[in-house]
Amino acid sequence: MQAHGKPGTGIGARLRRKEDARFLAGKGNYVSDIAMPGLMDVAFLRSPVAHARIRAVTAPAGAEDRVFRAEDLGGVKPMQAQSGIPGYRASDYPILATGKVRFVGEALAMCLGRNRAEAEDLAGEVTLDLEELPPVVDMLAARRAGAPLVHEHWGDNLFLTTAVDGRIDEVARTAPVVVKREYRMARQCMSPLEGKGVLAYWDDRHGQLVVVTSTQVPHIIRTGLAECLGLEQRLIRVIAPDVGGGFGYKCVLQPEEVAVAWLAMKRRHPVRWIEDRREHLTAGANARQHHYLVTAYADRRGKLLGLDAEVSVDVGAYSVWPFTACLEAAQAGGNLPGPYVVPAYRCKTYSIATNKPPFCPYRGVARPGVCFAIELTIDAIARAVGREPAEVRAENLVPASAMPYNNITNKHYDSGDYPKSLRMAMEAIDFAGIRARQRRGEADGRRIGIGFSTYTEQSAHGTKVFASWGIPIVPGYEQATVRLTPDGGLEIRVGTQSIGQGLETTLAQVASEILTIDPARINVVHGDTALTPYSTGAYASRSMVMAGGAVSRSSTVLAGRIARIGAHLMQCRTEEVRLAEGRVFGPAGDVSLEEIAKVWYLRPDQLPEDVDLGGLEATVGYRPKVDTGAFSYATHAAVVAVDPETGVTQILDYVIVEDCGTLVNPMIVEGQAFGGAAQGIGTALYEESSYDEAGQPLASTLIDYLLPGTTEVPAMRMQHIETPSPYTEHGIKGVGEGGAIAPPAAIVNAINDALAPLGAELGETPATPRRVLAAILAASERQAAE
Amino acid sequence: MKAAAFDYVAPQTVAAALDALDAEGEARILAGGQSLAPLLNLRLATPKRLVDIGRIAALRRIEDRGDHHRIGAMVTHAAIEDGGMALADHGMLAHVAAGIAYRAVRNRGTIGGSLAHADPSGDWPSALMALDARAVAAGRAGEREIAIRDFLRGAFATALEPGEMLTAILLPKLSAAARWGYYKIVRKAGEFPEAIGAALFDSERRRARIVIGALGSAPLPLDNLAARAAEKGIEAVALDAVEAALREAAPDLDRIALRHHAVAARRAILEALAP
Amino acid sequence: MIPITLTVNGRRVEATVEPRTHLADFLREQQRLTGTHLGCEQGVCGACTILLDGVPARACLAFAVACDGAEIRTVEGFDGDPLMARLREAFSAEHALQCGFCTPGMLISAYDLIRRLPEADEARIRRELSGNLCRCTGYVGIVAAVQRVLAEVPKAATAPSPAAEASPSARADTPLWGKIKTALGAKPKA
Repeated sequence: MQAHGKPGTGIGARLRRKEDARFLAGKGNYVSDIAMPGLMDVAFLRSPVAHARIRAVTAPAGAEDRVFRAEDLGGVKPMQAQSGIPGYRASDYPILATGKVRFVGEALAMCLGRNRAEAEDLAGEVTLDLEELPPVVDMLAARRAGAPLVHEHWGDNLFLTTAVDGRIDEVARTAPVVVKREYRMARQCMSPLEGKGVLAYWDDRHGQLVVVTSTQVPHIIRTGLAECLGLEQRLIRVIAPDVGGGFGYKCVLQPEEVAVAWLAMKRRHPVRWIEDRREHLTAGANARQHHYLVTAYADRRGKLLGLDAEVSVDVGAYSVWPFTACLEAAQAGGNLPGPYVVPAYRCKTYSIATNKPPFCPYRGVARPGVCFAIELTIDAIARAVGREPAEVRAENLVPASAMPYNNITNKHYDSGDYPKSLRMAMEAIDFAGIRARQRRGEADGRRIGIGFSTYTEQSAHGTKVFASWGIPIVPGYEQATVRLTPDGGLEIRVGTQSIGQGLETTLAQVASEILTIDPARINVVHGDTALTPYSTGAYASRSMVMAGGAVSRSSTVLAGRIARIGAHLMQCRTEEVRLAEGRVFGPAGDVSLEEIAKVWYLRPDQLPEDVDLGGLEATVGYRPKVDTGAFSYATHAAVVAVDPETGVTQILDYVIVEDCGTLVNPMIVEGQAFGGAAQGIGTALYEESSYDEAGQPLASTLIDYLLPGTTEVPAMRMQHIETPSPYTEHGIKGVGEGGAIAPPAAIVNAINDALAPLGAELGETPATPRRVLAAILAASERQAAE
Repeated sequence: MKAAAFDYVAPQTVAAALDALDAEGEARILAGGQSLAPLLNLRLATPKRLVDIGRIAALRRIEDRGDHHRIGAMVTHAAIEDGGMALADHGMLAHVAAGIAYRAVRNRGTIGGSLAHADPSGDWPSALMALDARAVAAGRAGEREIAIRDFLRGAFATALEPGEMLTAILLPKLSAAARWGYYKIVRKAGEFPEAIGAALFDSERRRARIVIGALGSAPLPLDNLAARAAEKGIEAVALDAVEAALREAAPDLDRIALRHHAVAARRAILEALAP
Repeated sequence: MIPITLTVNGRRVEATVEPRTHLADFLREQQRLTGTHLGCEQGVCGACTILLDGVPARACLAFAVACDGAEIRTVEGFDGDPLMARLREAFSAEHALQCGFCTPGMLISAYDLIRRLPEADEARIRRELSGNLCRCTGYVGIVAAVQRVLAEVPKAATAPSPAAEASPSARADTPLWGKIKTALGAKPKA
């Protein structure tokens, strides 16, 4: 495949990353890499049971000053994520368990040691007196009357129930084809390779609490810490160093961050907590667990007439801050119609409390679940009407001619050609060839299947969208600062965070596009509340759209000021000059940015009287013209081989056709899509945080929680469609999450395609050998009985 | 997590290692550490003392002993994978070794450590049982040999007495006519399998073995089935027949596990008997 | 605390260690070589992979005290190494890293793979790298980077001789290694 990319160093160039050199040398600087004199380690003593009343937590004699319990954290407030959605119940998420423990792994005490091993030794000596309560583990059981209550005063286990009632009764009475399905997506841990980590100390010189934390959202963390600690925000500085992957896990305030920050203030020496893998897998926030009951109505050709769904999300014991425990279900209800024309829609959602760790917005937020539900339903409809799923899918997609399109849940799809992405994917994966191969059969007895899934991804959801969810932090206008240095280099300062997605390169490309400065001479400064404008940070596939837009706008302002100085130096009119190759060209000569910078900073006597005193530094804010989100979309296609004797599935081929608007750096876009797809493959086939009836986590190591490796992720291929968004600067749409959305649907559709001749069908992730084989055996037993 | 504190000794000889084991209770032998170290890091194992046998040169040797090879307990999976020493096993050990975990783990992990750990999902217990290997246990009273099927007593349980250590594995030489098969059902490369099937047919030595592994207990030999397969060939081991034999031998397996283990066994047999 | 002496990146190091301190913590906390990352401490993720006596090993599963006398090479110990320079170049060109956390371990495993299996095809590369997890890239760039280096480097130059394998600590001085340096060093930077 020909590499996609434009020449030069601006938008569209397939530029190598500026950040690579330090990582390749082993010189990345993550929280756990930081050494400080007097640094001590924290280990948390965590609840061994899922649900209990706390009678006592007792430090060993002589260690009382190194063990901290909830009652020791005087003045520290719990995290409380409010929502403006009527009926929402906020949960107090205590920094250390208070009164009750509500999940295995909930922190009960913070223990301090000279190193982590000694801190763990101490934690092992703390005695617990817990009165065990019956836990509620299964979300559907939690909805039933009489279930144990996670929060007694609620009277039930529902954070929130929502309903979209789209008058579907008429359709239900008359539709010739009715397809009913139940789907489940397993609970997952996001598993960035670097876990969470936080180091805090008091800086006497600045009179500030400095919190160095592995986060996607340094400015939000400051706001949250201030709230919980009762400090003014100016007294807190949050630094995010290199972040070893986030994926949503690091976009919320975590209780450990608050506890360690408090401890640093109390002890006045540096302290740190480095999450280990077991903590991540058992006590860290979870994701993905959805349950669906879907009834789809269609005509005899499979054209959708209506959709009726009930969505349950197992959001665990507490609401994370700030994204709330209802974000997932609210998104699910709004996004279930996906890229399709759905004439009638009814959907009820339940955000259910259980005795499990809280739920976090993981890459794709709700959409992997809804994509799974709607895409499996499309295939089920096709089988019900006896047609090719890809054709039924194509006929139901919103056509390009309808763009921009307001769907049934008032999503404003801004641009694109959804059916084209499907057609391209079919061709790229050789759809006809695979169907022919299926007819021939496989020598090894395996069954081949092909599956597709198409989705839209609302990226960079704007202010209005978040405001409608009423969460504590609504993302607004993003600012960026650009500053020409006295020697003609450029510094960009943004409040959003690079967590591996290459912003140090792509934001430099945006500036280079406008200022024509070589990205090698551009530094992107991020990850420090003291150095950057406020930003709600890196999530919701928003950084490139929002920070990219802000860098573009601020660069444009700076370009104007550069032009004026250049024109003055060349004694021509400003309108006569243009920027190119890092120089200002006039009618009769040119002057370099270095010379312009030198004059501004060092020889202002050469400037005109009316020079813009804003100088060679500009901070400009940005929001898109229409800020209801730029909709990226894609079709993923998978070919699998299923071993009918064992249920083992192998992905033979995988193709992505994606449109994320203007590609700032095609190489990085592909990396995002492939990386997201690998996580989606994990969701589809491998990853599962299961719990037993007592609420004990069954996957506490990477031996139990399987992350896909080189042998599980196939050689993927990608093609681009480039439809610029009409609403955003440079037509950029977000791309960070999309890759993770489609794979569960595409892969399980492929498995079901392979199993269709056997009469077996699966509606659950991960599609483990055990589950696939169970479906095959059940089908054969059913057929034997008939 | 970090390991709980322990004492550490690294004896140079087997005799010194046995002394160190005796000196204090709750000592554990550290071989390659690829199974023990995770347990220590997770504090699922908290021995008072580790006796590191990594410095005992004698345990790293492979010796030709006429009708068998003596493989030192500290020979690594990687060394076996790379086939530095020609074993009369038609390459079965190298094949099995190459499928254990990952190269970085195989470079440190040892055949003896793995066998003594007796993880039911481990590869060596099933493979060595199919090969009729014997374990050499050293104790104060000297060495004794234990057939692998007697050595493996259950999940993580062996016939080693307190104060004894595994020093070697005796691997009988196969005849030129011998054929083997080894099949694992795995969810992910390098991870613990759902099911293991190991098969060995050596007509000259009149040996037929079928072993089922990854059962949650010690590997299970299916001698009658093996004899039938050796006598009647592939027709005797249709999936139904294997399932029936297995159901009888391991009645607690659920429907899926039964099928998985039967398929693994059958594929191992087919591999061995394939023309 | 037990005294140990070992070689780290060519430098003789004397230290005292607690028996329970694993090699990765020893390197990170006591030697300040923080390029060796801890992703799981369960031996699965591969982020802490280093060369221990010339072969890849999990630094989280080796106790420092047991490495007395050993030769350790971490990602920081490849300055001037032409094969590692090639690999780094290829990793950047093929976008084989994003957050960088798996990268040091991945480079060590890739380095070993290229020298041990110069004929490896894509399937073999994937099998050999299956013990190093990356959560960001989907492995597309990583596999491509290894393929790129294998295609660039003369096969004979990467194949270790049996003698060199038997005595890994002597590898840097063997004539063969000199040949690799020449072969790689002579190539212009891509």
